[in-house]
Amino acid sequence: MAKESDILKIVKEDILEVVGRKNKRTPLKFMKLEVTVSHSFVSKAIKELEEEGLLKISSEKRPRKEYVQLTKEGQVRANVVIKKHSILEKYFKERRSEEEAIKTTNILEHYISTEAIDTIKKLSTFKKKGLPLTEFKQEEGLIADINLDIGLFERAISMGVYPGERIRITNKIPNGIIIEIKNKKFALDKDIAKEIKVLEYEKI
Amino acid sequence: MKKFKILLIGQPNVGKSSLLNVLVGPRVTVSNYPGTTVEVTKAKKKIDNTEIEFVDTPGIYSISDRSEEEKVTEKALFEEEIEGAITIADATSFERSLYMALQILEARVPTILALNFVEDAKKKGIEINCEKLEKLLGIPVISINPLTKTGIDKLVDAVLKIEKIPKRAFTVEYDDHIEKAINKISSQIKETSIPKRFIALRVLERDEDFYKYLKDERVIEDAKENLKEHPKVAEDISITRYGTAAFIAEKVTQITHLRKEKIGKEKIGEKIDRVLLHKTWGLLTTGLFFLAIFGILLYLGNLIQGVLMSSSESFLSSFGAVEHSIIATVLVQGLTGLVTGVSIALPYIFLFYLILGLLEDTGLLSRFIVNAERFLKELSLPAKAFIPLALGLGCTAPACRATRVLSSKKEQFHTASLLAFVPCSSRIAIIMGIVGFYGGIIIALSVFATLLVAGLIWAFGIKKMFNVKSEPLLLELPPYRKPLVENVLAKSWIRMKDFVYIVIPLLALGGIAYGILNMAGLTSIIIKPLSPITTWLGLPPATIIPLVFGFLQKDLTGAMLISVLGSKISLVLTPIQIYTFGIAATIGIPCIIALGILIKEFGIKKAAALTVSSIIYGFLIAGIVRRIISFF
Repeated sequence: MAKESDILKIVKEDILEVVGRKNKRTPLKFMKLEVTVSHSFVSKAIKELEEEGLLKISSEKRPRKEYVQLTKEGQVRANVVIKKHSILEKYFKERRSEEEAIKTTNILEHYISTEAIDTIKKLSTFKKKGLPLTEFKQEEGLIADINLDIGLFERAISMGVYPGERIRITNKIPNGIIIEIKNKKFALDKDIAKEIKVLEYEKI
Repeated sequence: MKKFKILLIGQPNVGKSSLLNVLVGPRVTVSNYPGTTVEVTKAKKKIDNTEIEFVDTPGIYSISDRSEEEKVTEKALFEEEIEGAITIADATSFERSLYMALQILEARVPTILALNFVEDAKKKGIEINCEKLEKLLGIPVISINPLTKTGIDKLVDAVLKIEKIPKRAFTVEYDDHIEKAINKISSQIKETSIPKRFIALRVLERDEDFYKYLKDERVIEDAKENLKEHPKVAEDISITRYGTAAFIAEKVTQITHLRKEKIGKEKIGEKIDRVLLHKTWGLLTTGLFFLAIFGILLYLGNLIQGVLMSSSESFLSSFGAVEHSIIATVLVQGLTGLVTGVSIALPYIFLFYLILGLLEDTGLLSRFIVNAERFLKELSLPAKAFIPLALGLGCTAPACRATRVLSSKKEQFHTASLLAFVPCSSRIAIIMGIVGFYGGIIIALSVFATLLVAGLIWAFGIKKMFNVKSEPLLLELPPYRKPLVENVLAKSWIRMKDFVYIVIPLLALGGIAYGILNMAGLTSIIIKPLSPITTWLGLPPATIIPLVFGFLQKDLTGAMLISVLGSKISLVLTPIQIYTFGIAATIGIPCIIALGILIKEFGIKKAAALTVSSIIYGFLIAGIVRRIISFF
């Protein structure tokens, strides 16, 4: 089970996203419909957001209605969340069905760092699919895709050969390629290497 | 007194054995399962009123059972009735370590995360906040350094309180459709001690070994049906798990970018790799290195052998006076077997395994494996086959067992069959001590060359006949490290244990068996019926005795040859005959002990078929080569 603090974080980001997209004050009722978790969480999240100075609650007497509105700082934060969401959605839509993409995005956006988003953004801006590692000419690249049998796939992932990671080719040997990922070196067979798709990496 | 059983788990080269050495200290009662690194090692330690038994597992990257190491670890995790585990993490590649830690949490095993290589990580600008991590994961996190013994007391304290660690700590959450599938499968799982969620995940990850926990076949169909809608479910699970690990790692890691000159130390390893993993130099250095090792071994082995043999000979001759009674024969022959075992094989095997352990712990071995893979691949052998084949240069019996490092039975058997052509210390002693001594070094070298050629023909034949496909190369190359003497010694000892406890006693028994048969006059009765073999080989009929009885006790082959032909062998046998004898005595599964291990690993049918066919093959080669040579 996710911890309460995790759920709160997600709910908070969702609220920011919903209100941020509206770009104006939003009825509290509407938001409770959009953010589909128990209302106690929404109330708690709103309270925390208010405390953090990201959000203001205003109420009107007639008709009796409560509104939420983002502060300036809140809008900045919301923009980050929205940007994350759209980048992720775009990335996944290119690879999966629409419905799945949206679902995955909704979950992932809360768990992903801004740095990772940058990486994904780079991935999606490269329209081409990436070159097989065997044909990759640069020294450094970014793993875009791994296409192996589940047994080998699982091993590769658990070793740290993971899509989105920076990869450095250190040696080419007759029977394969020596690569370095996060300070760890690996020897790969050509058959495996050609199933790892690599993108050119823009050095920052 | 309380008794705890704690599993030690971690990736290869994460420092597990160093930690075990520090944890249990010098007063250990290590009760090894015989064999090499694919077994669990157990060591007990008493602290206050608690006896902790540490179970060390082979290094793996994930909890699954696609390879033998993983199977062994998984079995220990679920069947050893452990109180908990210590998961050892590498601070320099933290995501990866977390991946497995998350799986252990999925298995609902109370675990402590021991963070190793913290200093190395700091040098690379990586700092991990243990307290934050502790809160995130809900389990104790302790940074350790087995070399300086930092954090070990804290770790032991945490182990003593392991009962307080919640079984349900952090859990990875997957996409909705995966969670749904997990729930669906979980409801259809038989009663077992393994958590249902874990089984469901493994089923979804297409690990067929876990299908047996499902209630009936239809559930499997159902699960498969479910997988059809999302063909990448298995991959998604790994990705999400790693993604979660990366997410957590990012939260607790602080990275400071270092200036270039600080990373200078890394470059030494880079330089070595530029040579060792070079297109041509790599292969050349690997070859030269092993030739050098071989040369040193033969030289040092001979030196130690000489000293041990001369001292044991005088010891044995003191029994000479009481020879002609049965008891004396049994005693003398048994002792001869024992002494030859100890004096010929022990120094050689010990030195060899010591060097191999050093190569392994420095990180050099993995580079050699990569270079050797070029050839092994041609023979349809996976890179890891290098380990049993190299061990075979010591003693064939433990090498047969070491084939377990390979992931499929087919690969294991294929590799084991090649051990017929990898001369063990006893066979090298025959080639150098008998063939080389009486026939000259050229003949000895041609025996080695023949073994190589015969082995290659055999390997290609098997490749063609059974169409074996090897597992592709996916190997981590550990960074170069200074080896720890204790670790290397311990490892060599584990590898030698088989030899000491199984081979040496059997050598004595073989000697005794030969002694009794000889006394009863049974040895000579095989000369006549087996004379077609000696005729084919072009050898005097009596030479069948060392050939046949050598199978009981390989180290006695030389002595038996001398006893049937007299000590002036070079007068009785022509150089070509010495050569054929050398071939016939060295090709094939060498002895009854290796056969025994083969039976244990592959069953009697396969083991017997391999042994008989390899020996016949050796005789055939010897006869054919003899005919070709005499033709000129």
